Amino acid sequence: MGVKVLVGTRKGLFFLTSDDARRDWHVEGPALTGWEIMHAAQDPRDGALYACSSSFVYSGTVHKSTDGGETWERSEQIGLPEESGLTLEKLWHIRPGHPDRPNELWLGGTPAALFRSQDSGETWEPVEGILEHPTRERWQPGAGGLCCHTIQLDPSDPDRLVVAISAAGAFRTDDGGETWHPKNKDVAADFYPDDPYPEVGQCVHKLLVHPQKPERYWQQNHCGVYRSDDRGDNWERLDKNGLPSDFGFPIMIHPGDPDTALVIPEEGAVNRVTVGGKLGVYRTRDAGATWALASDGLPEEAWSVILREASASDSLDPAGFYFGTQGGKVFVSPTEGDDWLCAASDLPPVLSVEVAQSG
Amino acid sequence: MVVVVLPSLLAREAGGRKQIEVDAETVGEALRSLPVADLLFDERGELRRLVNVYVDGTDVRDSGGVGTTLSGGETLLVLQAVAGG
Repeated sequence: MGVKVLVGTRKGLFFLTSDDARRDWHVEGPALTGWEIMHAAQDPRDGALYACSSSFVYSGTVHKSTDGGETWERSEQIGLPEESGLTLEKLWHIRPGHPDRPNELWLGGTPAALFRSQDSGETWEPVEGILEHPTRERWQPGAGGLCCHTIQLDPSDPDRLVVAISAAGAFRTDDGGETWHPKNKDVAADFYPDDPYPEVGQCVHKLLVHPQKPERYWQQNHCGVYRSDDRGDNWERLDKNGLPSDFGFPIMIHPGDPDTALVIPEEGAVNRVTVGGKLGVYRTRDAGATWALASDGLPEEAWSVILREASASDSLDPAGFYFGTQGGKVFVSPTEGDDWLCAASDLPPVLSVEVAQSG
Repeated sequence: MVVVVLPSLLAREAGGRKQIEVDAETVGEALRSLPVADLLFDERGELRRLVNVYVDGTDVRDSGGVGTTLSGGETLLVLQAVAGG
């Protein structure tokens, strides 16, 4: 069947395709030219493609394609209620909903906005439990604005989701989105020296829920890498176990092995490039107890920038990992990180990478 | 009847139509009748800051804004401001 990868860039959406070996790649596109594609995803329930499209002139919208990206429709206007005093700035992330809720999708944006669609993306309603969260006045925007960039489902329970907002932290709902509980215990916020472990305010860069072990969460934070084995109730810090830095944006997890994760550390908050002028991917196979460099085939001299949405994994065996750079390259490992190849180069700056179909 | 001329991105979003004829008495009415009104206006109904509209060559921000009245036969040119990268 092969693999199709959606690569969102500053200048439209590209499609990378390959067979199951994932060593020879074909680039198609771009679709949706004129738009920045912050994130794109395929709905596994019906195959539809969705794109979070942003423009500095026209704000944000969601495009949907039911013919593999040939033609696109646009959602009705997405906005925030007048009583909030807020207006939508940008859309960051789209997540098709649980298989038990066939028409439901979730959408994250700036300023700290979560939306739900119950009509397959035609219309979107803001989620009041986030918009009116009692801790909201303590949330502060990161460099990308107050962005809701992570939406993760719990495959075992359609009423449970976790979202992450920078810099507000992680929030979990167990009641289908009515109430949201901060899940930031023992997660550092070093930029608040007077209270480095607050209830909220953490700068989560990316958070993932393991699809086969949904109580296991992983996150790359502004201040460290963490794992939770109880759905975010408690977090264990892992970056001191062999990573060259506590800072980075993407995190990749192995869909068949809950103990395997990959990160790409950066120098730090001030100098956001890969550590030491090398493109260093670090992998753990023991749930974060140890990390080792897994960069065979990657450039040895590189000051790369990989954004939070710009990595993914597939469900083939062996699992494949993917990431894209602000320099317009997409790297693929068809061997779970053992070796890497460059699948595309000279694309516009890559904003997002997502596997559309595999296996 | 007035003619609204759209920039390329909006023309694609309007099904490939670069020019659309509409019946309208004001600039705002004309723009809100377009299939891309959601892109031109924010959720409060305000014309987005970087959207510029010219009526027969005059920037509506220098005349009456979106309330500028139309008598028929005008050409409305929608442009995105020169910004960004």
